[in-house]
Amino acid sequence: MNRFHIGMESTKLANGLDVVVAPDSTAPVVTVGIYYKIGFRLEPQGRSGFAHLFEHMMFQGSANAPKTQHIKLINSSGGVLNGSTSYDVTNYYQAVPSNALERVLWLEADRMRALKVDDENLKNQRDVVKEEVRVNVMNQPYGGFPWLDMPPVAFRNWSNAHNFYGDFADLDAADLEDVQAFFKTYYVPNNAVLLILGDVKPEEGIALAKKYFADIPAGAPPPFADPSEPEQAEERRGDVEEKFGTLPAMAIGYLMPVRRTADWCAMALLDQALHGGRAGRMHRELVLEKQIAVEAGGGIDDLFGYNGPTQMTTRILHKPEYSSQQTLDAFDAVIRDVRENGISADELEQLKVKWRSDYYATLEGGRGGYLPKFGLMHLLPCFTLFDNEPQLVNTILDGFLAVTREEIQSAAKKYLRNEKRAIVFRTPVKAGAPASAGEKEAA
Amino acid sequence: MATRAMEVAIGVPALAAERAVTWPKRTRARLSNGLEVILAEAHSIPKFHGELFFRSGNAAVADRAPGLAEMTATVVRTGTTKRASRQIEEDLRRIGADLSSGAGADTSAISFSGLSEFAEPLLGLVNELAREASFPEGEFERERRQKLEEVKLERTQPGFLASERLRKVLFGAHPYGQVSPSEQQVAAYKREDLQAVYSEFYTPANGILLLVGDFDSNEMLKSAEKVFGTWAGKKPDSKASATPPNPRGRRLYLVHVPGAVQTQILAGCHAITRKHPDWVKLGLTNSLYGGAFNSRLVMNIREDKGYTYSPRSGVSALRQHGYFSVSAAVRNDVVAASLTEIFYEMDKLRSVPVPEPELADAQNYLSGVFSMGLATQDGLLSQLSTVALNELPDDYLETYRQKVRALTPEDLRATARRYLDSANMQIVAVGDRAQIESQTALFGELEVYDAQGARVS
Repeated sequence: MNRFHIGMESTKLANGLDVVVAPDSTAPVVTVGIYYKIGFRLEPQGRSGFAHLFEHMMFQGSANAPKTQHIKLINSSGGVLNGSTSYDVTNYYQAVPSNALERVLWLEADRMRALKVDDENLKNQRDVVKEEVRVNVMNQPYGGFPWLDMPPVAFRNWSNAHNFYGDFADLDAADLEDVQAFFKTYYVPNNAVLLILGDVKPEEGIALAKKYFADIPAGAPPPFADPSEPEQAEERRGDVEEKFGTLPAMAIGYLMPVRRTADWCAMALLDQALHGGRAGRMHRELVLEKQIAVEAGGGIDDLFGYNGPTQMTTRILHKPEYSSQQTLDAFDAVIRDVRENGISADELEQLKVKWRSDYYATLEGGRGGYLPKFGLMHLLPCFTLFDNEPQLVNTILDGFLAVTREEIQSAAKKYLRNEKRAIVFRTPVKAGAPASAGEKEAA
Repeated sequence: MATRAMEVAIGVPALAAERAVTWPKRTRARLSNGLEVILAEAHSIPKFHGELFFRSGNAAVADRAPGLAEMTATVVRTGTTKRASRQIEEDLRRIGADLSSGAGADTSAISFSGLSEFAEPLLGLVNELAREASFPEGEFERERRQKLEEVKLERTQPGFLASERLRKVLFGAHPYGQVSPSEQQVAAYKREDLQAVYSEFYTPANGILLLVGDFDSNEMLKSAEKVFGTWAGKKPDSKASATPPNPRGRRLYLVHVPGAVQTQILAGCHAITRKHPDWVKLGLTNSLYGGAFNSRLVMNIREDKGYTYSPRSGVSALRQHGYFSVSAAVRNDVVAASLTEIFYEMDKLRSVPVPEPELADAQNYLSGVFSMGLATQDGLLSQLSTVALNELPDDYLETYRQKVRALTPEDLRATARRYLDSANMQIVAVGDRAQIESQTALFGELEVYDAQGARVS
């Protein structure tokens, strides 16, 4: 077996900023990312959607690079850039020809040191974010399903249960004071990791990180709201209207174990067994064999990047001639099978090969296909911020490849229980009433 | 039109000396059966990516039924004379591979990636799908039903409705005018039709095999010869297509979606194919207009005015024809305002020379982004397939950046005048008629359609 190793060097600056440099001279390109340990789970109550709105504000100007300049300087250096907000982290990243490395570090340091925005910028980005929500959620069939529909049904703690894209009233209520307070609290070097990946020498990367970031003062350790959930002891259900689509849909989410435990590795492979594409049991049973569903997929969202309550979620769009109950029964049969019979040695072997192959692909590219090393850029800071151990990127695979059949079955029994799940039904307002009399048997 | 003076950054570090961009050596071969093979090594991870293309897609059989090549490709992966569907999926997982099959307007393709240690079994399966697909009756019926739901669903997506209408307007009776089949057309698909397409298209003389990844090119070429060498079959006949219409004057096509809370704008005009000598010029002009975050249109209607989240322009190059288009999903009350800015920025590029520093910025952008393809196996594969499928010169990758950097403000103005055809743009707006009809009618003669494609007024 050909094992793949990422060489790296890491350090913590005096102000608490973690720096990880992973050299690779394959192409004259360098990917620079900054991860802040703040996501929408921890945004203030009454300010739903704020972590994401704030991410937009980070592109609106800093002390020495006024509005539009960050974008202009990256593009005109031959690079691309973006940022994204998730549950527990917010990232900012760019891939540029390696001759622009210093420029990128200067820009990232400038906005870490001193964000400089005004009311006009805030109004502008509030408008942009509303159109983002409309184009991705409100004006799309099955928009936000289930990532926005599931949390309020599944969770009880506001941190986990609120609308992460933001209620428009909350977005409207956000003001410049909120922006500066959020910046001051969470956007401090001691709450961040800097990644420099690609065409750079390790010592050069570390020296440049010091040159541009070392004089940014540390802040007080940020306060973190407690995201823990009260013990779930019953199945939870909720209903959402589907305005455009004509197929009934449902999502079923089971609470996941805490990350980096043995159960977590077993659940990751179980997830692959259930949701691993066309060979996955959900797709195979519901779409290919029983032909009840048109789509049956999903799984664990961001296995390495969550740091609080999360679920393994199956998303199903099914044919209107099958009722929700029939569809759920067919889903339950798949779950029951893996709980009662586990998986075969042959299936486990297949899953491990596929897992290893997918992991390499993640390290090389990942979900930001156009952006080299996006996956590596995501894993390194998660292992740094949550585990204080970036080298995990080279060893984490071992835990998954060591999972046994017994561990998989025991994880299935422990976690795939009705009282640990939540179900959201997304029902079209337009289609005919769900089948009742003369409905088709789901066999 | 920017309403606010732009400030500049102070103290920006200068760019260091540029490092040379070196594209990997390509190994080319034509097997005795006519199959073209192109290989490039990329050792970033112990995997490889491949694509087996056939130079025929939906357009070549549009006279039989729209989407027939796509449906054929979908069913190809569901069974061979040796393996049933479930076996195929499990065998792929066993070697850590991913595989998909599909067809666009001009090509059909089997795309795959997997661990280098299992290259031979993966090539073997690709070969089996390309030569021995069995089109099982049950699989065909299931995929047809899936497709029916898919074509229903796409009629609820604003982006689909916009591009469907624009393609109809620009291409009419030409095969490019129909991007997707109707429910009735899907219901009428026959298994025999798919098999006929398969036997005509999926031949070595019609194919190109591209492989990029962690392997030794000589060894890999031997494997490819061994696996694909005994395959036989001729090139399909090609037939002439109808001439697309040439719409003159701006016209408005409103696709009515009751209750839409946003309007999807898509405007376009005829342009050029990849092989055209003006391609690089138009690429740079587009990147300056609306093809990059830092482009004029994005800065105007997003960063200055906040009308939209993701405005973009682009050049879509099909094999026989290309078109330029600009899109933005905007707030319902600023449809007219957005269109005004879209045309303002187009007309400005058509009439006022681009300042030298802005030109240099755009040239750097396009050259830099082009080289990012080098950094990943699939990025490199996509660059190589563009060159191969469009029959571009061998040195296309090596000379692209020089060509971009040689362009002048006058080149851009001439290009904008020729291809950003402001006066003849065909404008589609997908949204709620009651909220946007009067705004759209300001820009040209209006036709209104429903989401099923029927003309309402």
